[in-house]
Amino acid sequence: MSGAVLVSNLISGVLLGGDLALTALGLSLVLGVMRVVNLAHGEFLIGGAYLGMFMLQLFGIDPLVGLLLIGLILAVLAYPIQKFLLSPLIEKGVEAPMMTAFGLSVILQNVYTILFSGDTRSIERSYATEPLVIGSVTVAQIYVIGFAISVVIIVLVHLLVSRTGFGRDLRAAATDPTAAGIMGVDVKRVYALTFALGAACAGVGGTLIGLAFSFTPTSGSGYLLTNFAIMVLGGLGNIFGTLIGGMLLGFLQSLGGVTLGDGYRELVGLVIFLGVLAVKPQGLLSRGRI
Amino acid sequence: MNHTHQGTSVFARSAALASSIFGILAVAGAALTAPATAASAADEVVIGAPLPLNGPLAGFGSFDQWGYQHAVDEVNKAGGVTIDGKKRMVKLIIRDDKTDPNVSASNVETLISRDHVTALLGSCTPMLVNAGALVAERHKVPMVTGCDPLGAFTSVRKWNWVWDIFFDERELASLAFKTMKDLGIKTDNKMAIMADNGPDGLIVGGKVWPMLAKENGYEVVANGSFPVDNTQFTSIVAQAKNAGADVVMSDFVTPPAVALRKQMKEGGYSPKLMVIEKGAEPVQFAEALGPLAEGILVGGYWDPSFPYPGAADLEKQFEKDTGKSGSQHIADSYAAAKVLLDAIEAAGSTDPAKINAAIAKTDKTYVVGPVKFSPEHTSKLELVEDQWQNGKSVVVWPANRATGKFEFPIPN
Repeated sequence: MSGAVLVSNLISGVLLGGDLALTALGLSLVLGVMRVVNLAHGEFLIGGAYLGMFMLQLFGIDPLVGLLLIGLILAVLAYPIQKFLLSPLIEKGVEAPMMTAFGLSVILQNVYTILFSGDTRSIERSYATEPLVIGSVTVAQIYVIGFAISVVIIVLVHLLVSRTGFGRDLRAAATDPTAAGIMGVDVKRVYALTFALGAACAGVGGTLIGLAFSFTPTSGSGYLLTNFAIMVLGGLGNIFGTLIGGMLLGFLQSLGGVTLGDGYRELVGLVIFLGVLAVKPQGLLSRGRI
Repeated sequence: MNHTHQGTSVFARSAALASSIFGILAVAGAALTAPATAASAADEVVIGAPLPLNGPLAGFGSFDQWGYQHAVDEVNKAGGVTIDGKKRMVKLIIRDDKTDPNVSASNVETLISRDHVTALLGSCTPMLVNAGALVAERHKVPMVTGCDPLGAFTSVRKWNWVWDIFFDERELASLAFKTMKDLGIKTDNKMAIMADNGPDGLIVGGKVWPMLAKENGYEVVANGSFPVDNTQFTSIVAQAKNAGADVVMSDFVTPPAVALRKQMKEGGYSPKLMVIEKGAEPVQFAEALGPLAEGILVGGYWDPSFPYPGAADLEKQFEKDTGKSGSQHIADSYAAAKVLLDAIEAAGSTDPAKINAAIAKTDKTYVVGPVKFSPEHTSKLELVEDQWQNGKSVVVWPANRATGKFEFPIPN
């Protein structure tokens, strides 16, 4: 294998990993703040991909132009789910909200199938299939675009969490919800908004995935596993750690791809996921959390 | 956040619990989406089928569902099947196997034990068909299926109760080579092979294509085997591009097929000829890819232009019923159901052994061509080479079946 192929692959992996970090951030925020494993996160991601595709097909809105709208729609849809479905269960322990989220995942898959059929879809844009060639290195242009968008949104989320009143409430609720409540923080509202923010991240990331890959109503579960791996690598609730975790996972998966074959990428990811979980369950980059 | 330890333990517990309840909830999900069918009326003949209506193979399942249902509707419209001298309506129960062999097998168990089916129709692709077929075989309930390449079907066991109408994957594997040779296609004789690790993918991509490449003077510069749902092909695409392979031979279901084609374009790789068996067949492939589907070759076993009774009408009826373009899967599913219904009629009984014996005697031309079963319980379909041109599937080889001219090379 030539050096150019190796470098192209590794850069592609890092860029794609950074792209996926955006979706993992949503999962990480919800788990870090609410201590809820949102097993429906993959379906929010696929929801974003469908929204991007239909906005283009029905209204001619380019998915990149409509990203903020897609995030907003996902957030608006997710808010009542948390408020009315998950919130009453949070005080009953970890199991009830997680099982509810899994039920929601199955329901959403079926809703997508009923509404959109089980057909394979992809968002068709010419810029999403163009290569970016720099010397002898070739990477997919959409990976670069996705990475840039992902970094911008992750920085914005960081600023939201670290520099705003909502962020202060969020950090307080994440640290000690009881004490935060006593201090006047509306913890339930913070939880609902965090859940909505997580869904928005998933939706925006899902649109980018729909541009680069194919998707079906049940594709979300595969991305959920990747998101878990990124989250564990990056550290629970660590915003920039998630980005680094995504890039690291992408790099390692690409290394696995070029050495063992593309078919072993997922295996590499899962081995890393389980390995890190066994050795350092709080995440590889667990310091400097929310 | 100071609750690192608390968050960790919560996360660790959550992860463990997630995996343990995953299976339970998956079963619950399957039950949630299964058709709510009451016990069948006594005067109905009930047949059933598991089909992939969700998951990566959903693109096939929707066509199979229509083919099965259309055959049953036709029979019912004509008064039903004759059992013990009395006409009885046929009821078809379809259960979604979600592209999961385990669900497919449990669906067949349910169809037999709860729905009390008289006979069965198969799912689609070897991993799903074979999983359900083994259950049918164990219960001695006759099953007629399409969508299971004959080599993968016969390699499982010697069948007594299951019958397969489809193509031989070894012939399919040689199809592109025959097409290139017959049409005098000139390339640099460098080939990249990519296939999934399903039963048919392992045979075609792992054994037959490398052997045929050697026999036909091609150098295999890249060869990869992938999980069935893999959608990441960056490395092998770069490898094939770097080696300058003019020909790509691949065998995937539709979601990876779409992802592969997009990633080839994203990676700046433009081979002159590309074959995507299996996944490039449904119209969803062309719809998802748009112009990128242009020129892609895929082996076919049916086209409405075939000179068999009802071929053109079947396509028109599908388009009328659904408003969508057809697929060859409407034909093998329709034919399989017709073979089963004809056998029930010929048996004049719901006795499984009598129906099975009647299936064995099938010797008739159906919409897919002549159907007559071999001692291995297979009936082979003829093959043609299809190519996507302007969003339509066109038969380009052999000459006596061609409905369009072969397009070469693939537009860049």
